[in-house]
Amino acid sequence: MNTNSNSYTVVYTTLIVVVVAALLAFVAMKLGPAQEANAKAETLRQMMAAAGIKPADALFSTSNADILSLYADNIAEAYTVGRDGRRNGELSVLREKIELVDRLKPQYKAIKSGGEVTLPVYVFKSGVAVIPVYGAGLWGPVWGYIALQEGRGSIAGAYFDHESETPGLGAKIKDEPAFREKFAGKTVGWGEEPAFRLEKNAEAGGATNAVDAITGATMTSRGLDEALNVWFKAYERHFKTEED
Amino acid sequence: MAQKLKETILNPILKGNPITVLVLGICSSLAVTVQLKGALVMALSVIAVTGLSSLVCSLLRNTIPMRVRIIVQLVVVAMMVILVDQILKAGESTYAIDKQLSVYIGLIITNCIVMGRIEAFALGNKPIPSLLDGLANGTGYGLILIVVAFLRELLGSGTLFGLQVLPASYIPNNLVILPPFALILLGCIIWAHRAFDKELQEK
Repeated sequence: MNTNSNSYTVVYTTLIVVVVAALLAFVAMKLGPAQEANAKAETLRQMMAAAGIKPADALFSTSNADILSLYADNIAEAYTVGRDGRRNGELSVLREKIELVDRLKPQYKAIKSGGEVTLPVYVFKSGVAVIPVYGAGLWGPVWGYIALQEGRGSIAGAYFDHESETPGLGAKIKDEPAFREKFAGKTVGWGEEPAFRLEKNAEAGGATNAVDAITGATMTSRGLDEALNVWFKAYERHFKTEED
Repeated sequence: MAQKLKETILNPILKGNPITVLVLGICSSLAVTVQLKGALVMALSVIAVTGLSSLVCSLLRNTIPMRVRIIVQLVVVAMMVILVDQILKAGESTYAIDKQLSVYIGLIITNCIVMGRIEAFALGNKPIPSLLDGLANGTGYGLILIVVAFLRELLGSGTLFGLQVLPASYIPNNLVILPPFALILLGCIIWAHRAFDKELQEK
């Protein structure tokens, strides 16, 4: 058989692409649920690390199944708020069908463009409320979860993550526990401009709504600073009306 | 025959090492060698991809139209890489490592070692030797990756597999963590390899 004829080449390439596509689609379908479960457990770990349910190390060595139970046991309620600061949705907290708003990028874009948003608030039984932040670092997105104390004026804890910041520099937002621990006890300057500062020497003036930027990671720090302020601004109306 | 098989397996690990002798796959060996754990998963992924792609291409070798062979090889390699990535993402214990390696798993597609071995070996040899050749080349790449990652994690973070091994008084060297140091280290390894094996030196 002439394997170099045009018709053979066309049929062969078509066939191989169809077979490979079918195989990959099948695998993606089969593994999809397991991948989603992993991503969800990861988000829950980060949220609970921020809320201080358990130390981050302990949470990251806990199995997915136990993480779901731990969340269901500790969460009080979860809901979403809109641009006007009012609730516009409920998120299920039952262990079997935990709902999260874990796609933060579309929300971030909507906040910036002025579109309608569904910003999640996760209130734990301990009284703290966890909110996400998301923005652009140096090489890719940076995001995190901020736990607010009752009264919502001060921060109980935080956890940050990133996609591809420089190891040893920008990656410290995740890898260096000392960085995220600095957020505990700080305040959020609701109504102030900016509400929070992550800058060089920010702590020097004695401001309570500020944390020093990471040395050698100016762009990552700046990105995280922007992420914090964009999201704090978006939540401002909600937490101010809740106070009143 | 046995001699030839032994040659197929040992050559890519020593005399024909893809990184230190052919200088292929440099990009990923700079990027994923900050931590030993990531380097190990990357090494195993590349071994799986080179081995299986060579096997499949060797099985198809008599049917592939010569004019589009590169495209067919690329489809096979891309399929293997996506499979590896999907499996890593689905595993509960490998999920975090896959996240850490981020784009570099996907970029195995562009790793010259994979296509190079298919072109140079798998298209002209039977499936079993091709599988072994692929696995051995992946191993040759993986070994260097692990050596580099061992030194970088030890000197750059004072840890191995995330466990503290150097005393807390050791100040981690930030230069070691940055990619340029990996290139310097790789140069030293190539130098050592050539000094050890005189046959590799150009006249």
